[in-house]
Amino acid sequence: MKIFSKYTFWIIILALLFFLCLPFITPYKGLASQMLVFAIFAMGYDIAFGYTGLLSFGHAAFFGLGAYSTGLSLIHLSIPAPLAILIGVIISSMIAFPIGYLSIRRRGIYFAMVTLAFAQMLYFIAFKWRSLTGGDDGLHGVPRPPIGPINLSSEVALYYFILFFFILSVILGIRIINSPFGKTLECLRENEQRARSIGYNPTRFKLISFVISAFFAGLAGGLYALLQNFVPLFSLSLDTSGDIVLMTLIGGMGTLYGPIMGAMALIFLKDLLSTYTNIWPLFLGLLFVVSVMTFRKGVFKELKERLLKF
Amino acid sequence: MDYHFIFIQLFNGLILGSIYVLLSLGLTVVFGTLGVVNFAHGALYMLGAYTAYSIVTLLNLHFIVAILLCPIIVGVIGILLERFLISKLYKLPHFYTLLLTFGIMFFIQDAIKIIYGPEGEPFNIPKFLDGAVNLGFVVYPKYRLFIILITGFLAIGVWIFIGKTKLGAIIRAGTDDSETADALGINISRTFTLVFGMGAALAGLAGVIAAPTQDVQPLMGMNFLVETFVVVIIGGMGSIGGSILAGLIIGELVTLGIIFWPPMSTTLIYIFMAVVLIVKPRGFWGRAAFFE
Repeated sequence: MKIFSKYTFWIIILALLFFLCLPFITPYKGLASQMLVFAIFAMGYDIAFGYTGLLSFGHAAFFGLGAYSTGLSLIHLSIPAPLAILIGVIISSMIAFPIGYLSIRRRGIYFAMVTLAFAQMLYFIAFKWRSLTGGDDGLHGVPRPPIGPINLSSEVALYYFILFFFILSVILGIRIINSPFGKTLECLRENEQRARSIGYNPTRFKLISFVISAFFAGLAGGLYALLQNFVPLFSLSLDTSGDIVLMTLIGGMGTLYGPIMGAMALIFLKDLLSTYTNIWPLFLGLLFVVSVMTFRKGVFKELKERLLKF
Repeated sequence: MDYHFIFIQLFNGLILGSIYVLLSLGLTVVFGTLGVVNFAHGALYMLGAYTAYSIVTLLNLHFIVAILLCPIIVGVIGILLERFLISKLYKLPHFYTLLLTFGIMFFIQDAIKIIYGPEGEPFNIPKFLDGAVNLGFVVYPKYRLFIILITGFLAIGVWIFIGKTKLGAIIRAGTDDSETADALGINISRTFTLVFGMGAALAGLAGVIAAPTQDVQPLMGMNFLVETFVVVIIGGMGSIGGSILAGLIIGELVTLGIIFWPPMSTTLIYIFMAVVLIVKPRGFWGRAAFFE
């Protein structure tokens, strides 16, 4: 397969080194974990948005569902963390089926608006169902039970726990994208009619792609609940859905590595800016406008192309 | 259950529905013509409310001045946005304009937050519309009746403008086949700018009118935006008649929901949307293959 070039080995080694050292570079260790969580989220989102061309504006729904389900199972069932995360992933993938089924009937911007509306519905349910979710106070007191000898309450241990899931996700993501299934998704994005005429069922492939990305969103959500010891209502909000679109767009959609870098850069930047000012949304808005107007292929790709021109 | 109470609630639903209609008019006209889902619509609505607040409370001018000036000010802002940003993206897939306006929304919201503060400001009902009228079955606030009246007036106005006037015909021609219209000597890009400005002006006007019913605050548009989207989806995107009908239905649904099952009243909107999408994927009067 062409994914292995002669530099691949060194890139992997360097990336591994970077990720192993990351928590000691960032201002505080939780930030590194947060960067990984959103990297998983953005990478999964890219499978739907970048590869299949499904602009979902409601992916916070699956992130939030994963976070709430994991958080609630940790609080009420006192089960091990991996099992709670599995529950979160299963629930968000399961809810993605009906939502995806209804949304995929509409294309393009219609799809974006319908997914947004469904996410908003879940937001309001979580907002009103105080006894279960804590309403706008969020879900407090999510424990971090130890896994055998590993004590997850240490931030470093938790980082490596999340890193483990991150690496698994990246491997899974690369496998999906380079499989015949992944190629079919790209084919659908480029020319749906042709895909249909050679016998592929677009609706089914789109739905599976949507559910896969919800799977990653649920995983990221579950890890997020564990990381924060808390699930904010914010995790289900339109802002979160927008953030993930921006991360993918800035990083470069349809590349997998782009959204990962985009997510990490944006989380880092948000933290950096929030320490000095409270104008993050203003900056975010500006970033959206600038990247849509000038960096449509993603900052990294555009910069590379522009540098090569010189 | 007291029937009189339900009747009053139905009437309240009509008011809420009117505000939905007022907001969705601009959104659906812009979508129907340019294929732009304007996320900044809510922010422009909020901008209209803040402009009204500045005119009435800070400059001590009459409410009528605000009603006349705000749509113009917000409309001009809309024209500038279209000219310098949105118009550059028409040739690209439609979702880019959606992302762009999403960014503009955050920018405007935060800019207002920085200028006016995040808390929000009270906005009183203007004196000449204060008080209540006895309608026979109920004594009802004057201002709310004013909202119904002005919404009805605007909805009919927009309908006639798009459907019956020459400029409206040009706009429709631009929607159906902008290249042919361009070849026939119509300045399409100017028409598009005008339409976007009109949509922004309608949002601004909705903001002025809604301001006295609630406090003016930076997130007031964001809170209404998604519900307005639902109205437009249910009505069929780009269909003015559909938006009016859907707006009124949603208004009734929310207010009746408050009687029967208060915690679920907002969720009902989305459940209704899901049902409509199952039965009619394009909404009430959505055109097939329209900006899809």
